[in-house]
Amino acid sequence: MVLLVDAINALREFLDTGGQVLLVIGLVTFLMWLLILERFMFVFGKFRTYRKDLLNSWSSREERNSWNAEQIRQAMISRAGIQLNSNLPYINVMVALCPLLGLLGTVTGMIEVFNVMAITGSGSARSMAAGVSKATIPTMAGMVGALSGVFASTFLQRKAKREVELLEDKLLLDH
Amino acid sequence: MAATLALSSSAFAAEQAMDLDTLLKQLEQGQSAQNAQNAQREAQFKAQQSEQVRMLRELTSNRDGELNRSERLETQFEENEIKLGNLSDTLSKRMGSLKELFGVLQQVAGDSSNKFRTSVVSAEIPNRSAFMDDMAKRMGSSTKLASIEDIEKVWVELQREMTEQGKVSRYTSDVIVAGGTKTQKEVLRVGAFNLIADGKYLSYNPETNTLSELTRQPTARFTQSAAELQSTQSGIVDFALDPTGGSILGLLVQAPNTKEQVEQGGAVGYVILGVGLLALLIALERFISLMIMGAKINRQLKDSVAREDNPLGRVMKVKEQYPDVAYDTLELKLSEAILREMPKITRNLTLIKIISVVAPLLGLLGTVTGMINTFQAITLFGTGDPKLMAGGISTALVTTVLGLVVAIPTVFLYTLLNTRSRNLLLILQEQSAGIIAERSEKGA
Repeated sequence: MVLLVDAINALREFLDTGGQVLLVIGLVTFLMWLLILERFMFVFGKFRTYRKDLLNSWSSREERNSWNAEQIRQAMISRAGIQLNSNLPYINVMVALCPLLGLLGTVTGMIEVFNVMAITGSGSARSMAAGVSKATIPTMAGMVGALSGVFASTFLQRKAKREVELLEDKLLLDH
Repeated sequence: MAATLALSSSAFAAEQAMDLDTLLKQLEQGQSAQNAQNAQREAQFKAQQSEQVRMLRELTSNRDGELNRSERLETQFEENEIKLGNLSDTLSKRMGSLKELFGVLQQVAGDSSNKFRTSVVSAEIPNRSAFMDDMAKRMGSSTKLASIEDIEKVWVELQREMTEQGKVSRYTSDVIVAGGTKTQKEVLRVGAFNLIADGKYLSYNPETNTLSELTRQPTARFTQSAAELQSTQSGIVDFALDPTGGSILGLLVQAPNTKEQVEQGGAVGYVILGVGLLALLIALERFISLMIMGAKINRQLKDSVAREDNPLGRVMKVKEQYPDVAYDTLELKLSEAILREMPKITRNLTLIKIISVVAPLLGLLGTVTGMINTFQAITLFGTGDPKLMAGGISTALVTTVLGLVVAIPTVFLYTLLNTRSRNLLLILQEQSAGIIAERSEKGA
């Protein structure tokens, strides 16, 4: 319990020194990882049974040679592609948004620094420290958030592309 | 004198004389009268000579007497000087360590007078610094000694300040509220740190000894704790206090709020906000129409009869319109129908994309113009005043913030809408033929 309170206090202090933007960055990163997790679970869990069903229904078809069969095959692959690619654009946009949000935090922090300068009329490093920490911490957090998502999103994209190609190879037309 | 008068009277007579003889006569008479007068004068001077000598002697003796006296007084002055020196030596010897004490007393009185003047405790207990000022002045003059009562009073005042610093006390006082009117309120003083009333932080003005509500209060988290403290009567309550005794809260009043900061952005800032609003409206319209379209397409997927009210239905109708054409022609007709539907689905999406790119660029534009203004100010007024420069720079940065604030949600909205519309297009492009094929197989 004490540990939890300590952790909450430390987090709150971190958020206070980083400002409001840090909260948004944290939220975006959290959402991004939630989506990434959901994707992983889909690719390695639900999609396998889906693919098996798909292959079964294709192989149980009587004829795989007509125009109809070709169109149905295309539709099947397309449906699988839609399922594999859903949420990926959101993960990508969040990866792109993290550094932007970090930049936003940097600029608001700089504004604070210059406001302090405008009010006190001095370049006292101590009075500017709060603004400087608000400028640098979100940048760092944004970078960390983006970098943590980049690898996962690249992996998921390649995986989706490869799975679609595999399906195309396996759903063969008879000639 | 009489002779002069005679002369003038004879001169007067001469004016009346009309011939030379009478004139000559008159002249002779005048000369004789003058001779007589001179003789008389000489006699008079001789008679007075002895008198003059006597006066001279008198004055000389007078002067000698005064010289003697001055000599006497000078020696006396020297003697007094030595005596005075001896006496002050004795005084400082006898005061000894006490002298140091009075010095300390003066310093303490001066320091605490300043402290009392600015302390928020003075809002409740006024007029404490007057005695301390008087005390410091008396100790500084070193002609008067401090009495035991005075010293004890300094002690009591210091002790009182210390005791009050550790207290949370309630009292009623006049408070100047935001409108400028004075009202009686229950004021809560937390040590020597903060004054609150009605859950709002007050500022204390030592010059006029008045309390006023801060025009800008800190964030809700802190004012809430203040209200909580005021409403409870006992126990322990969380409270956010200003350890500087009000100077941090004072700075808060000067810091610009969100609205003022947005106004700092100037014309470019408003352009960015306008563009952002436009993007938001377009996105809202697109979102709603794509939602409706998606729902209709989903219903069409489950329904075997092609409807006219959705793109998929219209594409599927193509098959019914051309029941007997070859597959190649049918595919051409289908892609033609899909091309007709495409603009309806992807309408205005490019505009949102453009806005999401343009907004940060506009922000950059504002930054650069702001910097130009700053440098113009530097050219005019020099770099001496950091306030002047800092104002311009924060204005320049505000537009960057506005650009990002517009761009971030716009990018997100674009992705959202783009994904939706692309999914709809995929259904049309890759599946419409498949759906038609499945239905024709089932029907067959």
